[in-house]
Amino acid sequence: MVVLLLVGVVPHVGQAGMPFPEQIDRIIDAAHRRDGVQPAGVADDAEFLRRVCLDLAGVVPTAARADEFFGDSAEGKRERLIDRLLAAPTFSLQMSRVFDAMLVERRVATIKSYDFKPAEWQDWLATAFRGNMSWDRLSAAMLRSDGTSDTEAAAARFYLVRDVEPHLLARDIGRLFLGKDLQCAQCHDDPRIKTYRQADYYGLYAFVSRLKHFRDDKKKLNFVTEKAAGDVSFTSAFSGEMGETNPRLPGGEMIADPPLDKGKEYSVKPEKDQMGIPIYSRRLQLAQRLPRKQTTGFSRNIANRLWALMLGRGLVHPLDMHHPDNPPSHPELLKRLAQRFEQTGYDIRGLLREIALTRAYQRSSRLPVGADQKRSPGPSEFAVAALRPLTPEQLGWSVLQVTGRLPSRIERFDRKLREAADKKTGKTPGKAEETNTKKTGDAQLGLDDRNWQAHRQAYRELAGELAGLFTVFSRLPGQPDNGFQPSVDQALFLLNSEQMVKFTRDFQLLDRLTKLADKPDELASRLYLAILSRPPADEERREVARLLEGSENRDQRRQVIRRITWGLLVSAEFRLNH
Amino acid sequence: MSRRGLLRSTLGGAVSAAVAGQSVLAADAPKPPRKLLLLFLSGGASQLETFDPKPDSKYGGPFRPIATSIPGIQVGELLPHTARILDRLAVIRSVNTGETSHFRGHYLLQSGRKVPGYPVLGSVMAQLMERPGDELPGYVTMRRHNPQAYTDVGDAGFLGPRYEGVMIIDGKPPANIRRPDSIDVAAVTTRERIRRLTNQRFLERRSPRSIQSYTESYQKADALMKRREVFDLEQESAADRARYGDHHFGRNCLLARRLLEAGVHCVKVAHHDWDAHFENFHWQRQRCLEFDRTFVTLMDDFRDRGLLEETLVVIMGEMGRTPRINYYGGRDHWGDAWSMAFAGCGIKPGVVLGKTNELGTEVIDGAVDAGDLFHTILAAMGLDAKGNHQVGGRDNPIGDPASSVIQEVLA
Repeated sequence: MVVLLLVGVVPHVGQAGMPFPEQIDRIIDAAHRRDGVQPAGVADDAEFLRRVCLDLAGVVPTAARADEFFGDSAEGKRERLIDRLLAAPTFSLQMSRVFDAMLVERRVATIKSYDFKPAEWQDWLATAFRGNMSWDRLSAAMLRSDGTSDTEAAAARFYLVRDVEPHLLARDIGRLFLGKDLQCAQCHDDPRIKTYRQADYYGLYAFVSRLKHFRDDKKKLNFVTEKAAGDVSFTSAFSGEMGETNPRLPGGEMIADPPLDKGKEYSVKPEKDQMGIPIYSRRLQLAQRLPRKQTTGFSRNIANRLWALMLGRGLVHPLDMHHPDNPPSHPELLKRLAQRFEQTGYDIRGLLREIALTRAYQRSSRLPVGADQKRSPGPSEFAVAALRPLTPEQLGWSVLQVTGRLPSRIERFDRKLREAADKKTGKTPGKAEETNTKKTGDAQLGLDDRNWQAHRQAYRELAGELAGLFTVFSRLPGQPDNGFQPSVDQALFLLNSEQMVKFTRDFQLLDRLTKLADKPDELASRLYLAILSRPPADEERREVARLLEGSENRDQRRQVIRRITWGLLVSAEFRLNH
Repeated sequence: MSRRGLLRSTLGGAVSAAVAGQSVLAADAPKPPRKLLLLFLSGGASQLETFDPKPDSKYGGPFRPIATSIPGIQVGELLPHTARILDRLAVIRSVNTGETSHFRGHYLLQSGRKVPGYPVLGSVMAQLMERPGDELPGYVTMRRHNPQAYTDVGDAGFLGPRYEGVMIIDGKPPANIRRPDSIDVAAVTTRERIRRLTNQRFLERRSPRSIQSYTESYQKADALMKRREVFDLEQESAADRARYGDHHFGRNCLLARRLLEAGVHCVKVAHHDWDAHFENFHWQRQRCLEFDRTFVTLMDDFRDRGLLEETLVVIMGEMGRTPRINYYGGRDHWGDAWSMAFAGCGIKPGVVLGKTNELGTEVIDGAVDAGDLFHTILAAMGLDAKGNHQVGGRDNPIGDPASSVIQEVLA
């Protein structure tokens, strides 16, 4: 795309054959020209590296990766980095967290033991992303699963975590899959939003109104069961008007139940200890019909959500307020993103890749030199990169990343797995496979698999240490993300908690840095690179040197490094994705 | 001036006085901002053993009614102290919420909504009463750890974590409020210096507003750490502790006094174990013994300290209990006809509103629902529930638009 610009070819927006990221940028640039907005410059390597790692790997980069990236002077290194990140195990893990937060919204089932195990659900998501499962298939699995299947039982958590409560389900299916919050339409046509009709709400509701939670007490497992009968009628709280409905997607046709002979409604009759299975399932109708491009809002909703994931704000904002009076900031762009997503078969990884390649994504979060700081461009102009708070998971894992705890745990698991594999094949231990660049397909798979397992196990094992942090930093259950809302208890956690004391007491980075104590300049470089993914400014180097000056022995030096580390961890720069 | 106009001007004046930091001396000087104390009878108190006795009914139970300081009005004999000061209360005997689930009831009575996701009273207060320079949290909620109170996760709803109640569990101060011994002053100084230096550099060509709320959260943390003695009950006299009662409820009520005096806008105290499916009469007696004495101590004390003029005290639970007495001598969950009470600012004392039928199974006069209670509590606080919360690009009505203020109990 850079080449196109250099040779002066300025194709029309939408010209066939133009790379998709360039198409995106043309639309945004045109809006800037139209509105007289001066966009920020390109993010420097440090800014870009940290941002793209947080977005696609869920953690800040290691110092080693930063060194490597900064030292790479070959062309196309950003694209190569993006592709590496998308192929890494961390991508699947990060997506499992992102989609867990998006789909479960930090909910907790009213009775915890009546839910599907959260860890297994996350694992299911991670595995799905590892296989690059498309959004339509992922959606269908969640809407279809009753918890009995071998391969997608965990997907039933979408229903179970909501207590299989039909009103909650109807609302969240509207919000999360179609981008429409029909909550107010539960009781009457929404007075504020003309297109949110009570009949639409109850059309969705009718798909799930027959669902119930079923618990197998012997096996201590939970399922979603469905009754064969149950009609839906509703009354407006304003007008008193009444309606009846069968399942219907907003804007779609009503779906009639097939006629069934009396007494033959179930393939498995529901008993006290026996989960019923109806011959005809409205739930399966939903799973079949909703995740399709024909469904109004299905593609636009997810395209908008993925855009917001990368850029910090939806083209439609709030994310669940798609309606004619709240148009997208860039209507053409949302249309193209949705179309592109449909054409690629709802390939999430593919769409994220193309967004990551745009100039819009790669802009600096600093205003242009000389710009009026008090009049910075609005968030929906995408002229300056957004400052986004790290999610609880990004924050927690990044703390463990920069202190060295996470990388060393991954390494340990990797070593164990390698040794176990070597034992099996009778190889001499220590001969690293990585050095072997020409591998057979099988060996490659083995390495990938080992890498995946090492990551998965390390993250799983360390998750317990972060549980407290996750709780304190999570937004409230079932609430949409309302941006940066730092609270006092979060600040108190970062300043005083046992966990933070532990994370900053002894850590791998501290050991490495202590050895550099007589070279304060190098120490400062390593420290800032490890924690903030950038070199220190001159002033910061001087400060580090000054702080180290007074310390006479090793213990005192460690003490100083510890304090500086902690100071950096509580800075706004660390707390934000910028 | 209309009642609503009056309310608005009261609040506006209160806010400006607080901002200017003036003391209230002049006759027409604005009043200080109002406070809310919610005494939540968790599990569901029996209206028949408390505010709405039915001595001659088959469901009446063994206890006798007693006279109160309101002529012609009786309450259950388990509330002798409350009976004496009933003329200072406004009682509603006609609450009909229809809700019989603890979980949903807790939410419904505090948010005035059936639909999930709305903020509860304390969070609403924390947001609406928030002023620049507030050092203490706007909302503090107290309960025991085990067995769990039914739910207080996500109380702030769409208002977000900033307005979530600070939790006092088993009387312990909020988490992480004390600097651990392992961190000395020198460590704090260095850490703080690095934080500031890094932030300063970060703000080059970035709007200071972008990190304002983050830096403020540290200032507030600092202020709260310095004032952590407000959570320390040991600072209160032994005499006061004895008067309030040496049990959860008593200690928490005294702590509530301490917090409200220090500037917290809303305190919720949960009084547990009213859920008497077995041996209801034994349990109601146990619970009333604690509640009655502590509540009246609190009422007298608040009055003597001038705190009652600016504090609304609300007594309610998530539901009442069935008139029918079950096989185990218990009363079960009941939402159709039960009682609650108000005292303090904004309330017309001595009012008993509403009526249930002879068996206590139905409201026959003056029915109110949870939405009405919500509007009324806000009105007594000088706030208008017909306004909107503006959060994340949306308007959300503060109170359910389908409900309204119960004028009869308001001053």
